Amino acid sequence: MECAEAREHLSDLNRGHLEAGTAEAVRAHVGQCASCAAALQREAEVRALIQARAPRYPAPPALRSRIQAAMAQDAFGGPGWRALLRSHPWTVGSLAGAIAVLLLVWGGTLWMARDPVSRLAAQAVAEHVEYAKEMMNRPIPDPPALVKELRSQVDFSFEPIFRGDSQVQLVAGLVSDLLGKRAAAFVYRDGSGRYTTLFLMPEAGTTIPAENRMPIETFKPHHRVTSGRHLLLWKQRDLACLLISDLDEAEMAAMFLKIRKAA
Amino acid sequence: MSDAKTPLPAEALNHLDALYNLARWLARDPTEAEDLVQETYLRAIRAAHQFQPGTNLRAWLFQILRNTFFTRYKRKGREPEVMDPEVLDRMSTLEGPTGVENRLAGPQDGTAGLDLTAALKRLPEAYRSVVLLADVEDFSMGEIARIMDCPVGTVKSRLFRARAILKELLRDYAS
Repeated sequence: MECAEAREHLSDLNRGHLEAGTAEAVRAHVGQCASCAAALQREAEVRALIQARAPRYPAPPALRSRIQAAMAQDAFGGPGWRALLRSHPWTVGSLAGAIAVLLLVWGGTLWMARDPVSRLAAQAVAEHVEYAKEMMNRPIPDPPALVKELRSQVDFSFEPIFRGDSQVQLVAGLVSDLLGKRAAAFVYRDGSGRYTTLFLMPEAGTTIPAENRMPIETFKPHHRVTSGRHLLLWKQRDLACLLISDLDEAEMAAMFLKIRKAA
Repeated sequence: MSDAKTPLPAEALNHLDALYNLARWLARDPTEAEDLVQETYLRAIRAAHQFQPGTNLRAWLFQILRNTFFTRYKRKGREPEVMDPEVLDRMSTLEGPTGVENRLAGPQDGTAGLDLTAALKRLPEAYRSVVLLADVEDFSMGEIARIMDCPVGTVKSRLFRARAILKELLRDYAS
């Protein structure tokens, strides 16, 4: 085997992609050619360096949401989504995502297990999706006024409460009803149009399942995924707290910390 | 609308991070990379009926990404790279460093000892893509040839030369 032919195969040899006969011939050549042996070494070194150190750029969540929405819309055969995606990427992303999840929720609740936490989760996710639909494109209210108004509508104390920061805004405070209990619901929206809903209600009668605890710093809320949404359930003070979000798991954990620490 | 009857397989979303990663290495900035990936998916959705189930969805999406990249640059009247891969292929041989390698990696312009990101960015696109597809995405030579629409031999020689250039650029870089 000549150098030129051997060199064509060096990368495949390092990757284990050569047939046995060819691999043997390349190895035989490399064994007696210092130049090709050096080239083989270089191939392996550079490949290892790239695999270990080349930066990886993960897709931004907003891009993921837009593409997810376009795919969901396409799967439903919705007309005109391409033009919509181009003209209103954020709105359509949230809308189609909400529609997709709503369909999942409707389907999901039919076979959902009968335990109270599963029923609570299913109902809370359905509420969350409704809120996200309602809040879309609404002007952002003043958080202190919003909290004050909600304070007068429930008969338990929920303050202090996370009122948003530079990344996420508190866009609504609503009275909700979860499994027959009055709850306060706070809806947050991030810069990508993704929603997170925090439900607070008196803890009496709510049992936090011992399994599926997610360690987040010193906290261990119960974690589950319901209809594609991450959900955290925990108790603090005399409240049961339920967090549902369009965010991914890591972002959800960061959001949990903001909420947990504000309290 | 005939293409609406064949939705893009849901697993296409699993390759988003990898596609965006390559887009970041191809495009000039993150916004352009986002646009590139979004257009890639739009094209894939439109062309979903052309995808044959059971074949390599990941390679198909990368192929669309790279075609989209070139179409976009052509549309904008911009050259994606200063060096045409065909010219590179003609100027270089598999025998060892040549004028091109020396020009890209030579010490006379103070490029030795670049970090890995800077070194990869310095590679012509045709070389950079081959390296990323082979070493980061672990595509086979045949898959890369399909993605880049060129013969397998060309992929092999580009990969070989890209590594030679990188090795030279990185010679002072801590291993």
